[in-house]
Amino acid sequence: MKAYIMKRLLSIIPVLLIVAVIVFFIIHLIPGDPASVILGEEATPEEVQTLREELGFNLPIYEQFVHWFAGIFQGNFGSSIYMNMPVLDAFLGHVGPTLSLALLAQSISIIIAIPLGVIAAKRRGTYVDQLFMIIAMLGLSIPSFLLALLLMLFFGVNLQWLPVAGYSPVSSGLWNHLQFMILPAISLGAIQAAVISRMTRSSMIDILNMNYIKTAKAKGVKNSVVVYKHALRNAFIPILTILGETFGALITGAVVTETVFNLPGIGQLVINAIVRRDYAVIQGTILMIAFSYLILNLIIDLLYGLVDPRVRLNRK
Amino acid sequence: MHFKKHSSLLALFLLAVTLLIMGCSSENATTDVDEADNTADSASGGILKVAYPTQPQTLDPHATTAEATRDASKLIYEALVTLDNNYEVMPQLAESYTVSDDRKTVTFKLRDGVKFHNGNDMTAEDVIASMEKWGANKAELGEHTWTKVDDTTVELALSEPSSLIMYFLADQGNIAAIMPKDIVSSAGATGVDEYIGTGPFEFVEWKQDEVIHFKKFEGYQPDTDPADGLGGKKEALVDAIEWQFVPDSSTRVNGLMSGQYQFAHMLSYDSIPQLENSKGSVVEVWPYGIEGLIFNKKQGVFKDVKVRQAVNYALDMEVIMSSAFASDEFYSLDNSLFLPSQKAWYTDAGKELYNQKDLGKAKELLKEAGYNGEEVVILTSRDYEHHYNAAIATQQQLEQLGMKTKLDVYDWPTLLERRNNPEAYDLFYTGFSTTATPNQYVFLDSQTAWPGWSENADIDRLLNEIKLEENPDEALALTAELQKVMWEYLPIISTGQNSRVSGYSEKLEGYKTMLGPVFWNVSLNK
Repeated sequence: MKAYIMKRLLSIIPVLLIVAVIVFFIIHLIPGDPASVILGEEATPEEVQTLREELGFNLPIYEQFVHWFAGIFQGNFGSSIYMNMPVLDAFLGHVGPTLSLALLAQSISIIIAIPLGVIAAKRRGTYVDQLFMIIAMLGLSIPSFLLALLLMLFFGVNLQWLPVAGYSPVSSGLWNHLQFMILPAISLGAIQAAVISRMTRSSMIDILNMNYIKTAKAKGVKNSVVVYKHALRNAFIPILTILGETFGALITGAVVTETVFNLPGIGQLVINAIVRRDYAVIQGTILMIAFSYLILNLIIDLLYGLVDPRVRLNRK
Repeated sequence: MHFKKHSSLLALFLLAVTLLIMGCSSENATTDVDEADNTADSASGGILKVAYPTQPQTLDPHATTAEATRDASKLIYEALVTLDNNYEVMPQLAESYTVSDDRKTVTFKLRDGVKFHNGNDMTAEDVIASMEKWGANKAELGEHTWTKVDDTTVELALSEPSSLIMYFLADQGNIAAIMPKDIVSSAGATGVDEYIGTGPFEFVEWKQDEVIHFKKFEGYQPDTDPADGLGGKKEALVDAIEWQFVPDSSTRVNGLMSGQYQFAHMLSYDSIPQLENSKGSVVEVWPYGIEGLIFNKKQGVFKDVKVRQAVNYALDMEVIMSSAFASDEFYSLDNSLFLPSQKAWYTDAGKELYNQKDLGKAKELLKEAGYNGEEVVILTSRDYEHHYNAAIATQQQLEQLGMKTKLDVYDWPTLLERRNNPEAYDLFYTGFSTTATPNQYVFLDSQTAWPGWSENADIDRLLNEIKLEENPDEALALTAELQKVMWEYLPIISTGQNSRVSGYSEKLEGYKTMLGPVFWNVSLNK
């Protein structure tokens, strides 16, 4: 097991190297110039050129690359020229809202989706099943920004139960934090729930048709034990895959939701950095996103083994 | 059974991640507590929450012409002089100033008892250091030196006479802020890193991409003159300002309607009816400046003035302005470079050439110029819907005129770079916030080498004459002449004047907009 984890961790390094090279060159190939963004609309070309030189953007691109790349190995991801702070600090400053949103949205989606999926599978072909799946289809088809705006109008503007937008960290009090997170988490979670419930349903249907389930039922095992213990556990591997994928997507920044609800998370950080052509931030953040994605995949793979011992044996 | 054990493992993992979040955000905790204490001590004026669309790169107004910097830094900083209601120069940190007869020397008498936010008195040394930093890259100032005469008097000596120097010093695009000398001397390429000024509000804290906190400066010494424009008596009537960055326009509107923000800057023109129908909000339409179609005059079809004139003859400004700004509440078909309230510069010279809609004359001119189906590349960006819509409307009209067109759509930063390349485009749209003098419009002067590359001897000569002219009436006459030449030479076509829209809560009293939002002398009713 340990050797396996080590091997997986080591394999992350070449992937990150490739990501680093690609990101750097793509970002620098896009036209646009941080100096003219900083100096504003009415700056003269002369002023822009002066600032470019002071910021070191007049150096040949390979020199800039070597400089940046060498820095990474010393744990230095460079500095944001727009925010005047190290990239690592900028990243850590924005990671809180994104992680919190991802966790809450994922929890909401699991709480809704798994029971829905299981019930739909159990009552396959009935009205309940069809109703649930229609709801799931609706969830899949609603664009996240629309759901977000509707929730905001209803709960924020009309009822005024929750703030419309903004963010407050956990350290300012749990409720203070949660009141800003509820609407974004619901708007994201509802959409994820649609995906997960469909996967749960189809996976459960497969399992419920297996012979061992029939045997268990024939032996007189209680129906709920059959469904929730014997069937759900075995149906869980594909569900876990989907959970991993959706969580990965959430953690790498739910850009639209973050923008609409004005959460200063990773998605906003990347978008703002692109608009500002803040090269170091774009590069650093994308590297870190790639890293967390890889780690998350590793964790999901290890969880397979926890859920299903057969997977563990196969790996030896 | 097994499954239960593992799900508790999963819960443990989730708990660990939650702790990580708390760890990451705990650094903000201390500052939050401090703030709460501050407001508790003097809770009378309340906290004003502002929703602003973009975060500035810096609050150092010397470093940029960006509006995001101008609007926020105006709370902290003041200059020697500023603009009154008619956009005329009035003293601010200077008690008075005198311009010598040869207009080469300006002597400023500094106001007594002005304090910086760090508690120190403002001295002549601070003024000189600040002005030297501010003027370092400014071509329009020419060669100049600042000297200290005595502790409360400084002198500016110019190598060439200028009647506009006071306007430059009062300019809001690049505020000539006075800062403490030691901060000025430690400034880097992108500005100072400590924000200390003399204004009615002081800088507290900046959470990147989230909010800037300002609080009332208790040691502020207001000017005794009555409030006028951006000058006179300024008072912080609220205890603190939370300057929140809210990039999404509909979120700003919703937050204003729900009472979460008391002020929302730059609203989309479509959202106005929604706001007008909701109780408790006031819509503020404020004059901004001109919408400009900029020609590439260095290369391509528009190098020929006749082709530019043909376009000008053809355009229907009503169509362009209404597609860009939705309703005539938000624009006016005015050909002047200046707002009607800018009495010193406002003129309608060149009016006869504006909004002609004469397709026949336009086609004739195009033929005369020998236009032969060359493709016109229109550079635009969807980041600013109004520029984009103006470009689309223009494209259709150029097609009607018989020109071949192509729309190149980029994001705004890309457009900013491409417009510097004469081979990349033929025209683009951008807006110009009104300026204090004709000389500050970057598209007129050949020396600025600004995109579009204006190159006209008459314009350059007139700008110079305006700069030297002592008599305001004569200066206005010269401006009229300048504007007429502009409408003939067409470095740009101004398609008209436009307004921007902000919204604020009824609870806000005394609010006004002048070259951006102004939050002093503004109180918040409970």
